[in-house]
Amino acid sequence: MTQTRRRWGAAALAVAAATTLAACSIQIQSAPDPSIPDDTMLIAADTGSPMMERNFNPYLANKRVASFYIYEPLVILDNVTGEEFPWLATGYELPDPSTIVFTIRDGVTWQDGEPFTTDDVVFTLNMLKEFPATDTQGVWGYIASVESDDTTVTIHLQNPDVPAAQLIATTLIVPEHIWKDVDDPGSFRNPDPVGTGPYQLGNFAPQQYTMDKYEGYWQADKVAAEHLILPGSNTQLDIATRGYDWAYSYISDVDNVWVGAGNENTYWFPPGGTIALFPNLAKEPFDNLDVRQGLSLALDRGAVGDAAAEGYMDEAGQTNILLPYQQDDLDPSIPNSGLIEQNRDAALEAFGRAGYTLQGDQLIGPDGQQLSLSITTANGYTDWLRGVQEVQRQWSAIGIDVKVSTPQPAAYQLALRNGDYDFAMGGTGGTGSLFRDFNSLLSTDFLKPVGEEASNNFERYDNPDAQALLDQYKVALDDDERREIGYQLQQIVYNDLPVLALYYGGSWGLMSNAKFTNWPSADNPYASPKTYESTPLIVLTSLEAVK
Amino acid sequence: MTSVTAAPRGVDADPEVDEKTEAPPSRSGNPWGYILRKIGLFLLTLWAAVTVNFILPRLMPGTPADAALARLAQNGPVSEATKAAIEAQLGVPTGNLFEQYIQYLGQVVTLNFGVSYTFYPQTVSELVSTALPYTLVLVGLVTIIAFILGTLLGVLAAWKRGTWLDTLPTVGGAFMSAFPYFWTALLLLFFAGYVWRLFPTSGAYGPTATPAFTWDFFVDALYHAILPAVTILITSLGGWILGMRNTMIPTLGDDYVAFAEANGLKPRTVALRYAARNAILPNLTSFGLALGGVVGGSILVEQVFGYPGVGYLLFNAVTNQDYPLMQALFLMITLSVLVANFIVDILYGVLDPRTRR
Repeated sequence: MTQTRRRWGAAALAVAAATTLAACSIQIQSAPDPSIPDDTMLIAADTGSPMMERNFNPYLANKRVASFYIYEPLVILDNVTGEEFPWLATGYELPDPSTIVFTIRDGVTWQDGEPFTTDDVVFTLNMLKEFPATDTQGVWGYIASVESDDTTVTIHLQNPDVPAAQLIATTLIVPEHIWKDVDDPGSFRNPDPVGTGPYQLGNFAPQQYTMDKYEGYWQADKVAAEHLILPGSNTQLDIATRGYDWAYSYISDVDNVWVGAGNENTYWFPPGGTIALFPNLAKEPFDNLDVRQGLSLALDRGAVGDAAAEGYMDEAGQTNILLPYQQDDLDPSIPNSGLIEQNRDAALEAFGRAGYTLQGDQLIGPDGQQLSLSITTANGYTDWLRGVQEVQRQWSAIGIDVKVSTPQPAAYQLALRNGDYDFAMGGTGGTGSLFRDFNSLLSTDFLKPVGEEASNNFERYDNPDAQALLDQYKVALDDDERREIGYQLQQIVYNDLPVLALYYGGSWGLMSNAKFTNWPSADNPYASPKTYESTPLIVLTSLEAVK
Repeated sequence: MTSVTAAPRGVDADPEVDEKTEAPPSRSGNPWGYILRKIGLFLLTLWAAVTVNFILPRLMPGTPADAALARLAQNGPVSEATKAAIEAQLGVPTGNLFEQYIQYLGQVVTLNFGVSYTFYPQTVSELVSTALPYTLVLVGLVTIIAFILGTLLGVLAAWKRGTWLDTLPTVGGAFMSAFPYFWTALLLLFFAGYVWRLFPTSGAYGPTATPAFTWDFFVDALYHAILPAVTILITSLGGWILGMRNTMIPTLGDDYVAFAEANGLKPRTVALRYAARNAILPNLTSFGLALGGVVGGSILVEQVFGYPGVGYLLFNAVTNQDYPLMQALFLMITLSVLVANFIVDILYGVLDPRTRR
């Protein structure tokens, strides 16, 4: 799903404080620590825990975020634009849909001076096979075998699957000469990480650590920041007052609290995914397209987005494509870029086709009962809840009885997977891979009956035509052919309403131009502004020092 | 607890028994019978607590893997492989409930609670041993200070009844203890931390410090503990003041106090040696229990100040379905409250012979 809330729970109290602050109209001023030199960047990336564990194993969920600045993938996929950046590989080719050939970059060294070779790539992939706990992306669900020569790594797939190349390419590569001696990479904490990345671990303390530039980095001339400081505690007030250069955080009233704090602060909130209502298609009457159309037409998506994200995010089109940065992928034949306007009369007409009529202020169905449904969202995701409450208001206005259910996140996740809901809030898309965005939403491979855990396709959409398109995409080597299939998949989402898109979930990038410039922005959207995963490597090698 | 606290007041009201507290406690038969009964009850309660501690987390909907997935799903779609990898990493329990229970009892006896789900691959013992000292020092010390200060103020208030020395602590105490913890914490954080920048706003020590037994670290940690400590002090002081004042006032009306005064003893001696000494018993009970609860930390205060104590761990454990960590923490809290209760029970047997029957 999307980057709507990172660590909302821990930040909730800070939000309250920030709101108090806004209400009292006290202008917070940013006061950067004068002891931090101009070539050093203060980043709020590793949020959440005041006691950080020295864990730099890139395959563990609880790794330090800077593991992403130490270990690099073959190719970086930017999830905002959907663009690929060749990284440790200079490129890759698919001679046929079941073979991928990566050409490995020459002149790359590990941070201990050892050369990076194709053996490291082969070793890493084989290690993921031997220790399934490390294979978090599940690449061995696709790979049959791996072979290499001096400059290339060839991967044979189990089945023709062109989009799998992107997934495999984003695997973080570790050095064979160090990891071959690790007994269990699935629990190894890797306290002294050695990668190929632009930064090496400097000083580590449980509340803050530093990173130093690796002078032998293969594009060292592009790395402007000599040092990074990553504090473990980054409350919103910390972020606004301590002069951070880069932070990833939702901040309420960002123009006053962040930009108003000075320090040449700026922000960019591009869409990182679509926040949508997942109908339970295995349940009556939500399996009825007319009912879904009525519900869709009754929504004022702009108002839902405003309620949820304070107006920072736009309403989402019903296409599962992130606009405006993925405009190239959008099917131009879909009217109004897929945006569906609220239309009460059309909604009632659609409900009428399904046998629902407005009697007084209640929408009465063929069984003589009022249309009644509940929306499930996770407790503590306050932005989603505000959005749901707005939906509840709009649907109630057309005569539907709407209840809201807010179980704890784990119970919400379970309800979603088991199909134990009427409508559930959720995120879709935003991986940067058009195939994966649609596959996880529509593929019948994930189809499970209600009561059994589905890993994707939570709405239980069962359409063989959609699956046929996805299968066709897997073997399509031609860009135009793939674009055409993408158009047809968008048509399905637009016409068949397997989910009701509401608004875009944001990527909350906060930056300061005081020390470094050329941040990604609406004018220059070269990469996502997020501080985790591999896209920060693109940003860190694009920045320019002011002094 | 109320029935316990009511007892000593009866003692004070009855000068005859008061006299007897000086006598050897052999009057009501064998004291060992009483202690053995108490030990038996203690063990039964302990077993019940340990079992409830096992069952409760498992009644929560969702598994630890679901909780981990919910966390990951906030950053991007989660594939089937990720779930499998996470389950493999966590070693999520697979046996039936009875097997898990037997395994759990073994862990309780050996104090080995395995690996935390939330902070994988750290072990529960690692986490608890890092967090416990901070909580013990912060919450423990502040509880002791609040008890001593509050009790003394309560004595003063009762002794100077009706004067400003009574009104100020009484009204002030009632007022302050009505503040919610987090509100006081947020106000202090905002003004003392951000507006005036007098104190650090989060953490238990400076960002670059590494915990060590050095003078510098101690000073640093103390500096970071001030705001959370003041928060706890402000909100808990009132209870001690009011409790002490309210038991002290009836005591002051007792004959033996009047007798002491009539004998021309110094007011200070009368107040502290005669009246306060008897009136302190209920407050002492609450103090024992409060000390027992110290290991639970102070969840809200630790959350607001990002203080790496047990309360913070507990919050994370509960929100992430971290059974191993939750079990260890709840067990620790239950045990210390039970032990504190047990000690208070035994003390009462010594202080008030009538409870031994």
